Amino acid sequence: MKRLKIVALTAVLSFVASVVSVKAQDAAEGEQIFKNNCAACHATSDEVLVGPGLKGISGRRPIDWIVKWVHNPQAVIASGDKYAVDLYNKYNKAQMTAYPNLSEAQIKGVIAYIDAQAAPVAAAATGAAPATGAAPAEGSSNGGMMQYIMIALLLVMVLVLVALLSIVSSLSKLANVSPDSPEAQQIPLFQRIAENGKKIATNSAFKTGAALLITLLIGKATIDAAYGVGIHQGYAPEQPIQFSHKLHAGQYQINCNYCHTGVYKGKGANIPSANICMNCHNAIKRESPEIQKIYRSLEKDEPIQWVRVHNLPDLAYFNHAQHTNVGGLECTNCHGEIAKMEVVQQRSTLTMGWCIDCHRKTDVNAKGNAYYDKLVELHNKDHKETLKVQNIGGLECSKCHY
Amino acid sequence: MTNNKIMFTNKTKSLFLSSVVVLSMASCGDKHNDPGTEFAANMYHSVGYEPLSQTEGDTNHINPYGMNMRLPVKGTVPRQYYEQAIKKDSIDGDLLQMDLVARNIKSGDMASSEALLTNPFEPTEANIEAGKLQYERYCIHCHGEAGKGDGAVAKIYKGVPVYSSDALKNLNDGHIYHTITHGKGRMWAHGSQISSADRWKIVLYVHQLQQAP
Ligand code: HEC
Ligand code: HEC
Ligand code: HEC
Ligand code: HEC
Ligand code: HEC
Ligand code: HEC
Ligand code: HEC
Repeated sequence: MKRLKIVALTAVLSFVASVVSVKAQDAAEGEQIFKNNCAACHATSDEVLVGPGLKGISGRRPIDWIVKWVHNPQAVIASGDKYAVDLYNKYNKAQMTAYPNLSEAQIKGVIAYIDAQAAPVAAAATGAAPATGAAPAEGSSNGGMMQYIMIALLLVMVLVLVALLSIVSSLSKLANVSPDSPEAQQIPLFQRIAENGKKIATNSAFKTGAALLITLLIGKATIDAAYGVGIHQGYAPEQPIQFSHKLHAGQYQINCNYCHTGVYKGKGANIPSANICMNCHNAIKRESPEIQKIYRSLEKDEPIQWVRVHNLPDLAYFNHAQHTNVGGLECTNCHGEIAKMEVVQQRSTLTMGWCIDCHRKTDVNAKGNAYYDKLVELHNKDHKETLKVQNIGGLECSKCHY
Repeated sequence: MTNNKIMFTNKTKSLFLSSVVVLSMASCGDKHNDPGTEFAANMYHSVGYEPLSQTEGDTNHINPYGMNMRLPVKGTVPRQYYEQAIKKDSIDGDLLQMDLVARNIKSGDMASSEALLTNPFEPTEANIEAGKLQYERYCIHCHGEAGKGDGAVAKIYKGVPVYSSDALKNLNDGHIYHTITHGKGRMWAHGSQISSADRWKIVLYVHQLQQAP
């Protein structure tokens, strides 16, 4: 009898102790559970994510209801509970996941955590500040760059000054009349310039010089234009939707392959169809006029007509998988920093010389590729250099020309 | 300034004009909307049908909107693994078997996927590594590196769950495969982007993330 009493007493004591610590400890476990299970759809503040913000939930709803709800929201809605049905409709019939395995104590812990979060909102706000402070730090590294730019600008300005001074001096020479001419001051300025100019123009050395200069300039322009024929380098056409790679591939780090689905598998890289945009834009920026264009295209079942940027002539064959998957090349090797471009621009020339040049310089990516083992072995027998693309036939006309 | 110009002789005028011409020719490349001069332009704007090409003038009259690509006929199944299917033990055969079952499951029918589909790929290190690579290409920007729902897009998209959470840590092969293929809830279908073999490899890697603490 005595023994039993003591046991009961210690049990009660330990129970009291555990009640005292319940708030702190449960809130810690609650935080874990909340972050793992609920944070995807609920904020601890008022902010609406997928579901309502849970700030003040313990005041809003009785604890039994919350437990029942978390265990099986669909059942609560189906039971005709008015609050639940209204809530469900208010959130466009978004279904909350059921958590039948969470114990009542665990759910209370979650609520304790939410209540604890509600108080120190100010602390959380200051905590967030350093994160956004990272940007200015980057800016200060730009400060060094700025100095160089300023110095360069100064140099250019000095040069311009010198050029201007020399022009002024030659102009004043032009405008000058021999001082012994009495009516020197009567002749209007422009007439003086013209007369002196005529004198210089009749000078044969000046004539040949000018003629030479003109032919040189025209010759250079002609050669430049001839070399530019069929080269679209720098082409950056306006697109029907202002799609930005800088935003998607840069800032949001969406992999190129997510949209260009063929790039590791086939000849063409593929341009994403509207349903791929919709994987995100069913929820993101729905009201933007640019995004509305995607919706319109889907409604009408009409493809978005992007303007093609990179385009080889029909006589050449280029295969992406060979280069990206087998060769292990990065997109930047050929397309430049697409992830930094607001509008896609063709950075490489895409001439035959460009292809050949790279095939002469680049090693074959033979590591871990059994297909090349024999070739590498044979090649290494009588060559010192590593196996280049040209050694496996990368310069043969028929590889690139049908 | 304008006065200066008036007094130009014919010679200087032609010099000025030619420099204007030269400058404008040199600046042709700056016009972002102009691809520049093309020699044999019909080699670039092909008459032959290229999958994504924009033909000028001579557009495809058979397909709507002059498109060169068409969707496969509804209900057809690609036969790329067909010969291997007879060989019982090949991975391609297993894959085709699973494909045929999966293609007959409707997009709303999660229960059938859970019950009928199992991963044809063994969880070998190479397969999981391959799955990780595909996960990084298709899922990471929403689900995050460790599957904690903290990818760069998740903050804006919202509602991306944690794989190791109580609700998701026991999802089976079929359930995850079905989610990728047809979508579930807020997540939309990714079946058109990812080959079925890659989807199964991703499933292997998601299983790893479900076990992560
Ligand atoms: C998939 C998203 C999702 C997840 C995950 C989720 N919820 Fe919900 N929750 C909702 C939605 C949506 C509602 C609004 C009712 C509805 O549409 O079903 C809601 C409503 C609630 C409500 C009622 C809110 C009110 O204002 O009355 C509570 C309480 C709640 N959730 C708790 C939780 C807890 C606790 C967890 C984690 C164990 C959780 N939820 C996980 C989506 C989610
Ligand atoms: C969210 C989807 C998406 C992602 C991610 C994406 N792209 Fe694109 N890409 C597009 C679309 C849409 C176009 C067509 C419109 C345009 O040219 O801007 C395009 C066009 C291009 C083009 C020009 C195609 C042509 O007409 O010649 C290149 C090159 C390109 N992307 C490379 C990349 C690279 C490299 C990456 C990864 C760093 C990438 N893309 C990531 C959607 C995407
Ligand atoms: C993986 C997710 C994802 C995909 C896929 C995606 N986007 Fe986006 N897009 C975003 C995000 C995130 C933003 C930035 C929204 C913001 O800043 O609030 C955005 C912004 C935009 C904007 C700017 C909208 C505005 O008004 O500011 C346009 C236009 C756009 N996307 C077009 C497209 C097109 C076209 C496609 C399909 C080729 C596409 N997106 C695919 C995530 C995506
Ligand atoms: C070895 C150089 C090279 C590499 C590496 C490369 N590309 Fe390309 N890309 C090209 C060429 C050349 C074209 C033009 C093809 C044509 O006109 O037939 C092109 C065209 C494209 C197009 C336009 C659509 C098409 O298929 O013609 C896209 C989109 C594209 N590339 C994306 C990518 C992405 C994404 C990567 C990286 C994963 C990549 N490229 C890597 C050379 C390259
Ligand atoms: C940045 C370097 C680079 C550029 C630019 C490049 N290639 Fe390649 N190319 C490679 C590499 C590396 C390989 C070898 C891939 C491998 O391991 O099989 C290759 C292989 C090839 C092959 C297969 C050769 C064979 O023997 O199997 C063809 C065809 C080819 N390239 C065509 C082209 C064409 C056409 C262009 C220009 C439009 C081009 N390449 C531009 C790097 C390049
Ligand atoms: C690595 C791939 C590659 C190889 C190898 C190659 N070519 Fe080319 N060739 C090209 C590409 C790409 C173009 C298109 C260049 C352009 O659009 O400016 C081209 C263009 C040409 C043209 C110009 C056609 C025109 O109308 O402008 C001729 C001629 C030509 N190649 C002949 C050859 C011959 C002959 C060989 C063999 C000695 C050869 N090529 C090997 C890639 C290749
Ligand atoms: C555009 C963002 C986005 C991308 C990309 C994405 N998911 Fe999801 N995923 C979500 C969202 C949001 C949910 C929550 C769905 C819900 O329950 O409403 C989810 C849920 C899931 C689930 C749990 C489904 C369940 O039963 O609740 C799995 C498994 C999953 N995704 C796997 C993947 C895999 C694998 C990929 C890559 C192929 C992927 N996701 C790509 C946003 C995304």
